[in-house]
Amino acid sequence: MNTVLGLGFILLAGFFSARLIAKFKFPSVTAYLLLGIIMGPSILNLMPEGILNSSGLISNIVLGIIAFGIGQNFSYDSFRRIGKSVIWISILEALGAFLFVTLSFFLILRQPFYISILFGSIASATAPAATVMVIREYQSKGNFTDTLLGVVAIDDAWCLIIFAVSLAIAQAIYSHMLAAFFLVNVFFNSLLSILGAFILGGVMAVLMRYFSKYLRTQTDLLIFTLGFIFLNIGLSTYFHLSVLLANMFLGAVLVNIEKSSSKFFESLRQVDPPLFLLFFVLAGANLEIAILPSLGLIGVAYLVFRVAGKVTGADLGGRISNASKSVRRYIGLGLVPQAGVALGCALVAKNDFPSIGNMIFSTIVATTVIYELVGPLCTRYALHKSGEVAAAAHS
Amino acid sequence: MQVKDIMFKQVIAVRRSTKLKELLKLFSKFHIFPLVPVIEDDNKLAGVVSFKNLMNVFKPYNPDILKNVPFLDEEKDDDIFSMELTEEMGSLVIVEDIMQTKFISIKQDSSLQEAFNLMKLNLKEEFPVIDNEGKLIGIIGVFDIVRHVFHQKGVI
Repeated sequence: MNTVLGLGFILLAGFFSARLIAKFKFPSVTAYLLLGIIMGPSILNLMPEGILNSSGLISNIVLGIIAFGIGQNFSYDSFRRIGKSVIWISILEALGAFLFVTLSFFLILRQPFYISILFGSIASATAPAATVMVIREYQSKGNFTDTLLGVVAIDDAWCLIIFAVSLAIAQAIYSHMLAAFFLVNVFFNSLLSILGAFILGGVMAVLMRYFSKYLRTQTDLLIFTLGFIFLNIGLSTYFHLSVLLANMFLGAVLVNIEKSSSKFFESLRQVDPPLFLLFFVLAGANLEIAILPSLGLIGVAYLVFRVAGKVTGADLGGRISNASKSVRRYIGLGLVPQAGVALGCALVAKNDFPSIGNMIFSTIVATTVIYELVGPLCTRYALHKSGEVAAAAHS
Repeated sequence: MQVKDIMFKQVIAVRRSTKLKELLKLFSKFHIFPLVPVIEDDNKLAGVVSFKNLMNVFKPYNPDILKNVPFLDEEKDDDIFSMELTEEMGSLVIVEDIMQTKFISIKQDSSLQEAFNLMKLNLKEEFPVIDNEGKLIGIIGVFDIVRHVFHQKGVI
């Protein structure tokens, strides 16, 4: 199959499989991921070489766009809207999953620290699609629903920060394993990657604001925004800075210095759906089914400790912010699904650590499939227990 | 020619505490819901309520929360006819719950060309007009500008 034929086939197959899976009340992202696994080299081998080889390119672009959008959360207006309890719960559930997974991998599974911290940081992500779909289906309403939505909305921002810091630490440990002044090096390299990303993102945002006076039409806007995102991804790659953080900071600074910044973020909606579809299909296609049996224990530990960390962290966050008992007890169960951001982080890890990357990536793809299938059941249970399911949805 | 020369000065504005019921009553004689500025006690512009914001009343949660979230499936069209709404909502929902605090306003001394370009770029048809202190002094719509051009060219 030639590349363009393959692209056409993927987009249309993606469209129809999303329609099909919606009948079983699962979100489109699950359909795209499963489609990728089925079309991938491990099963039907229908994926053209040219598309498979561009996995890195597509995921870089998609991650840049996502990180840019997530940066929008960092405005006073947005923090005020979501409230104190959501901020506490989301930070602590993300940190809870991070700590539980990192420590269990390091202490129980005896994995090297840089592998443990990578798994831990990916575990902090939550995918909102499945959770939001269940909330819409149940028309649930109330304090629990609002808190849950707030948490899934902001969670990815914490994940990107945790992952970027962990990645910098993992890279420093990996490349300085034998060096003297080990800790100093780790600290210095991590700081450089993060500070550099912050400065780059900030400078780009100022430039973007300055040059936006030349914009006249919606077409200009889309070209201009994509151009700046690509420039930012490219420069941060060139200077070995964190691509995710640089783009998140670009979005975060822009939203704070430009009053009409939402036009930049909204213009991307015209192009991102097909890119996101491709991203998920490619993530699925990159799964190596053959190595899954050897990952049994790692996968099970990841599945269990991530959820345990989220439930414990959310409960603690709820206690600190005086949230209601039902929020504290059940909100963690609404945070089970994982998808886009976790897969994206795993792809970054795969590219940066070729020797262990496949192990990390395959574990995350396989656990994503399981979480996406089980997650909606957990969310349904949590919403029922919270007593916020609309009467109409019961019948 | 500047925005202040052709803007509409008798603008209907509301407060954060205005109830939904009162808001709807204000426009009961209109056949469309216009862009409504929200002002503080000192007349400073605090936000706006658009038709889109008004429709949020029909949603079980504030969709703005999910505005920044990637990979969501698009929401199906709301069925406003089957939605459960109660009488108390008219008094319980206030403007602050539905207003938008991130919005575009335009300064009174901006040129008409500037205002027109900004409308095109942001896909908007109306902007509240403010003075140098951020106080609301009028509203300008795309039709005001178009009408001015017709007038200038002698068509009307």
